[in-house]
Amino acid sequence: MTPDELRDHLQTAIEIEWSTIPPYLCALWSIPEGRNELAATCVRDVVMEEMLHVTLACNLLNAIGGSPRFTPRPGKPVPAPDYPSFLPHSNDAFVVDLRAFSREALETFRKIEQPAAIGAPPESDDYQTIAQFYEAVAAALAALSPGIFVAGPTPQVDGAFYYGGGGEAFPIHDLPTASEALDVIIFQGEGIDLSIWDPDHDVFGEQEELAHYFRFDELYQERRYVQGDTPSSGPSGDPILIDYAAIYPMRPNPKAESYPPGSELRALTEECNATYSKLLTELEAGFTGTPSALVGGVQTMIELRYQAIALMQVPLDDGTGQTAGPAFQWRARSDRQAGVE
Amino acid sequence: MPDYDVVIVGAGPVGAILARVLGEVESPRPLRILVLESGPAVGRTWAEYQGNHEHYLGAEVKVPNTPWVSSTYAPSPDVLDIRKLVPGSLPDDNGYFVQYGPLPFGTDYVRAQGGTMLHWLGTTLRMVPNDFELKTRYGRGVDWPISYADLDRYYELAELELGVSADVGDQAYLGITFAKNYVYPMFGIPRSYLDEHVAKAVDGMKVKLDGKQYTLLLSPTPQGRNGMPNPAYDNGSGYRPRGAHGADHVGLRCEGNSSCIPICPVQAKYNPLKTWGRVAPHVEVRTQCVVSRVIYAPTGSKPVAALEYYAYSDGRPPPTKPDRVTASVYVLAGNSIENPKLLLASGGTPNKHVGKNLMDHPYVLSWALMPENIGAYRGPSSTSGIEILRDGNFRRDRAAFRMEVVNWGWDFVTDSPFSDVETAVDRGRFGSDLRSDIAGTVPRQFHLGFLYEQLPHPGNQVFVKNGYVDALGIPRPCIKYDVDDYVRKGMAASRELWNQLFAKLGATEHTRYYESDPGYVTYDGKPYSFIGAGHIVGTHRMSKTQGEGAVDSFQRSWEHENLYLAGCGSMPTVATSNPSLTMAALTFRTAEQILDDLGTR
Repeated sequence: MTPDELRDHLQTAIEIEWSTIPPYLCALWSIPEGRNELAATCVRDVVMEEMLHVTLACNLLNAIGGSPRFTPRPGKPVPAPDYPSFLPHSNDAFVVDLRAFSREALETFRKIEQPAAIGAPPESDDYQTIAQFYEAVAAALAALSPGIFVAGPTPQVDGAFYYGGGGEAFPIHDLPTASEALDVIIFQGEGIDLSIWDPDHDVFGEQEELAHYFRFDELYQERRYVQGDTPSSGPSGDPILIDYAAIYPMRPNPKAESYPPGSELRALTEECNATYSKLLTELEAGFTGTPSALVGGVQTMIELRYQAIALMQVPLDDGTGQTAGPAFQWRARSDRQAGVE
Repeated sequence: MPDYDVVIVGAGPVGAILARVLGEVESPRPLRILVLESGPAVGRTWAEYQGNHEHYLGAEVKVPNTPWVSSTYAPSPDVLDIRKLVPGSLPDDNGYFVQYGPLPFGTDYVRAQGGTMLHWLGTTLRMVPNDFELKTRYGRGVDWPISYADLDRYYELAELELGVSADVGDQAYLGITFAKNYVYPMFGIPRSYLDEHVAKAVDGMKVKLDGKQYTLLLSPTPQGRNGMPNPAYDNGSGYRPRGAHGADHVGLRCEGNSSCIPICPVQAKYNPLKTWGRVAPHVEVRTQCVVSRVIYAPTGSKPVAALEYYAYSDGRPPPTKPDRVTASVYVLAGNSIENPKLLLASGGTPNKHVGKNLMDHPYVLSWALMPENIGAYRGPSSTSGIEILRDGNFRRDRAAFRMEVVNWGWDFVTDSPFSDVETAVDRGRFGSDLRSDIAGTVPRQFHLGFLYEQLPHPGNQVFVKNGYVDALGIPRPCIKYDVDDYVRKGMAASRELWNQLFAKLGATEHTRYYESDPGYVTYDGKPYSFIGAGHIVGTHRMSKTQGEGAVDSFQRSWEHENLYLAGCGSMPTVATSNPSLTMAALTFRTAEQILDDLGTR
């Protein structure tokens, strides 16, 4: 891998991590507060860790002279998926939807977090699992170190601006800190050595926690994993009761365009799209040298949540009993004005 | 051998800090510590805490005590119990307090693990140096037996414990100093839009009060709520904000939920549950245990021999027999009403200052409608104030005060925004008219809060009286309370201030006080209505020599050397700062003294 290819890979890493967030948020926000708390906690924990991964990937890209991108450039589309979508840089094995919390959503989440088989080598440029992709990044980093690391200070986001999600963000400036970041990303997501337990406690001193795949698997199997369970045994603990009837029945993959121009739902969906797009703009500023943009970004996140949940409570009048939902569509600043009443 | 090394009565902020510090002792052996709390546990886990929030959201009438359900056997006073006192039909025993007047003591508290700081606002002002020398400087009240310099180091410990966000440069006024290179754990909480708007008009503004000119400055308020950590804290070690107890990824920054009082839904605001979460596991905490009596030894060097307490279960019949517990050191950390109540109910010959000199900050509101949208209802209740009027020669003649700029519109002043909706509907507004009517007024609502320094008077007091008991047969607090002309003259000065401020801001005043208000008073022919601030102080004051007070500067009883009376009751004067930070600082100082007593420091 050349340095430019490695930087491209890191940008892809950001896009991979980011692409999981809207689907997870849809699932999380479709669970009304106070209901299905185990499921909500699981999805919330995972999505917070994905946000940490985005942050660490951005720090890493900055450390090797790149510049994280969340918005389009001439000739380059917005680096956030238009759902339904394949994961970026994957082998297009499965489609990721925006869905309410459901068995279908859990199936997809398990696929996203699928662990790599032990020692599975990275294959070509399309990777079967996210872990394989990061193995390739780690190998390239090691090969290009130390020259690839920028000598002076680079834009880095630390605990002052990133907090409350899945562990601590830390600055990256050399191979050891870069490797630590990659370890966090890989371990939190998929576990290692086919152990179902996330070795988070080694890294953060937090309580032992299941790797993402197995956290989703226990919800899917509706049974807890307990110490001693293995991937092949499956979960053998207490049953988990999930009340799917309590979930907001959001129609999968909402789009603003599916509502008539001038309709209230169109306007609300565009408003939510505008908020999402504002957030992407703020994240880009935050990760390219203006970390204080993340302060406003937090407000935007809270606003996005309110708007998304409000949409999920609006029934569609098509007789299906389904509701509207957040579309996570990019809108350029000029289009945002037009879309919002 | 006594049952415990230390027994602490009360699991509020004072009990929590003592339990944490004393619980850290390891050699020569860990201390055996018991904490008896009269009320229930309300936040042992994150889920239990969230239950309080849900209860609050579901309640029709929302007051500070709403989220914190009290026990039948350990009732809490509630602001809903406060009513106008009628001469001739006193005492008024509506609620937990027995009010002898002439004015009602209008403050509540929470009897539960965590105490009243479960619903504090989060203001963490230091006292100004002259506050410790009111008598010497201005011939009023009494001096403290300690000075600002004695407390500085303990203020730092308190600011760490409570996780204070502030900038030293903003807080160094009226002689307040900080140690060299000191910074607060976190940078100041950003000022609200409303603050910025008001500051533009107020900063540098000249006002006349009692015929003298003052130049105003709006100061950011130091707050015990999480903000951006300051990397320079502790000589560059930095500070890591503490999240919610039991969910430490929650509440790492203030989110602007705007319900600090009565409950921060994410615990970005400090509450003592966070300290309880750090108390060593060998410290025993027993909730629902009401201490009913201090038992004195007839002779010997350990004058307190035991405590008697009732362990109860809500929903069950009352316990018939009390239990007893013995310790080397006893600490009463109830509050400035429960501490003296317990001592006065225990018989013997209590120190003559116990129960006397009850003080609070009488709190007066004035409100107005601003000419433009000022973004009311955003942010914590108050994030700035006028502090520079907290000290001056005028303290010879009238009460000093601090003024809070309040972010929450007319909120509890007029029960806004609910009352605004009702009024508009009554005027026939509905649909989009109603919406624009509300949007056109509510964001312009503005109110100021004034906290006056009340002087110690022995006549303002807590006492017990036969016939007034709670469900366990324990005496209820009887209270005599009045607000003297010193305070009322301060109210008059504050009126001069708010008149000039509203004029400068172009705001239309809407303040109205009613004779039917429980705290209605007049001065110089003008009316004021005050409410309690929840800053209960003075009832077992500390003093330099025996005879002048109930405790020494370490909060140790002058008469009973194995007994400490800890908390705001030890404060000889109330000054103008919200007392929580000073109370916490005094607690750290007392903890050191107790460790000395036990030979473990």
